[in-house]
Amino acid sequence: MDYAISILVNGIVQGSIYALMALGYSVIVGITGLVTFTHGEVMMMGAFASFYVFELFGSNILIGAIGSFIVCGILGIIIYKVCYERFLDAPRHIALICTIGASMIIKNMAQIVFGPNQKPMFGIFENQLIKIGPVQLSVLQLVILAIVVILALGLSLFFSKSKYGISMRAVSQDKTAASLMGLNVNANALLGNVIGCGLAGIAGMLISVYYQAFQATMGGPLGMKAFSASVLGGLTDSRFAALGGLFLGLIENFGIAVSSASFRDIFAFIFLILILIFKPQGFSKKGGIKL
Amino acid sequence: MSLLTVENLVVDYGHIHALLGINFHVDEGEIITLIGSNGAGKTTALMSISGMVKKTEGKITFLGQDITVMKPHNIARMGISHVPEGRKIFPELTVDENLKVGTIANPRYEKQRSLEARDRVYTLFPRLKERLNQGGGTLSGGEQQMLAIGRGLMMEPKLLILDEPSLGLAPNIVENIFELITRIRKDGITILLVEQNASMALSVADRGYVLETGKISLEGSGESLLVNEEVRRAYLGA
Repeated sequence: MDYAISILVNGIVQGSIYALMALGYSVIVGITGLVTFTHGEVMMMGAFASFYVFELFGSNILIGAIGSFIVCGILGIIIYKVCYERFLDAPRHIALICTIGASMIIKNMAQIVFGPNQKPMFGIFENQLIKIGPVQLSVLQLVILAIVVILALGLSLFFSKSKYGISMRAVSQDKTAASLMGLNVNANALLGNVIGCGLAGIAGMLISVYYQAFQATMGGPLGMKAFSASVLGGLTDSRFAALGGLFLGLIENFGIAVSSASFRDIFAFIFLILILIFKPQGFSKKGGIKL
Repeated sequence: MSLLTVENLVVDYGHIHALLGINFHVDEGEIITLIGSNGAGKTTALMSISGMVKKTEGKITFLGQDITVMKPHNIARMGISHVPEGRKIFPELTVDENLKVGTIANPRYEKQRSLEARDRVYTLFPRLKERLNQGGGTLSGGEQQMLAIGRGLMMEPKLLILDEPSLGLAPNIVENIFELITRIRKDGITILLVEQNASMALSVADRGYVLETGKISLEGSGESLLVNEEVRRAYLGA
């Protein structure tokens, strides 16, 4: 019983990080209307950014989060300028192939600059366990959960209340109507990319802190997992994307409990294939960013 | 001076010539209508005014300023509000949020003024107020058209462009829409109207232009076109 609870807790914590990745992913796909394959590499850059922030400014997870958000937000601007801006009206595969190319460049540049080996991440929190009834979790797990919940609530508030959020949703639903209403489609899409990539950066930091390790090639499977989780919401519905991420984390953890940790990725991708076979349009009804 | 002038406008879609050099102007306070059959280039003419299509030749001037190559959102911010064909409301935003979008981009707005504008739209369309938290996509066709016009009015435009506002609506709602158009004009907003329903459009319009395969074949006051033999035969089914 205790074992099952601890798997559940691990699954939820891991799933919450996946949910954050998927949230960013669905914001980007929602606003540009185009699939991206750079998301994993953005997370990798987020991990590296937080490592250097920890090294320079000390091990504070909030400063790390801000640092990786800023670095990945800037990366998001570059990716948008290179892969999307000219191709919003072009056939969809052009931007898609462009993001695949960009992800390869980022990954290989990172290997050249930072080296190809796995690096240990700073230990931000002491390995202390907190007991709440039968549930046992570490301080780090609690902090991860808190960060993800706060970011998800903040994002939801941003999209429902602020004028920037409402105009981004308008742009994601109908670009023609939005520009006739005086909204700058390009600026909104750029802002969406900054937010989506910034969240990916924070997710990258959390995953490297959680695993205590990071490397230049970590992005590939992470990007695919963000994609898998978002597929559940038809790629653009962030509520279902977050749910998909949580679900993915649980599947993985129960999966490795009955097999071996080296099979971790198998479960995520079986999940992706099953969704694509049986419910390829996801569970969301219509397109556009949703709360 | 004219509010809007279109001079020698030529638009090509690849090899297809949509507009072959048309000229028209809209004066302040007028209701102007463009009529013509399907494919005559009416929507293209409107889309070129609001910057959504690339022009091959010609010049468009609004408030004395050349807007021929301006970006659509900047044209909208100058005071041209274009209610597109097919309404194009935001289906996943609520009625209230749809209206809010109309004010977001307007640099002249502060919060108080946007609330006032919203109240004006709600007095114009009480039906929308009843549904303010409903998703735009759940409204009926007539309500969606009201929402689209309301959203356009939220921008406090100097020129309101309406593209086929009566398309697909029941006859009694069409009458409402035309009654509304005359009311909007009384508030001092100039209107450029494109309609399939030529008799309705000409009866409210001050002046009209007849567009035929990319060219303007006739122009004149609303009444004179309404009794014109050619127009009656071709567009009024008489």
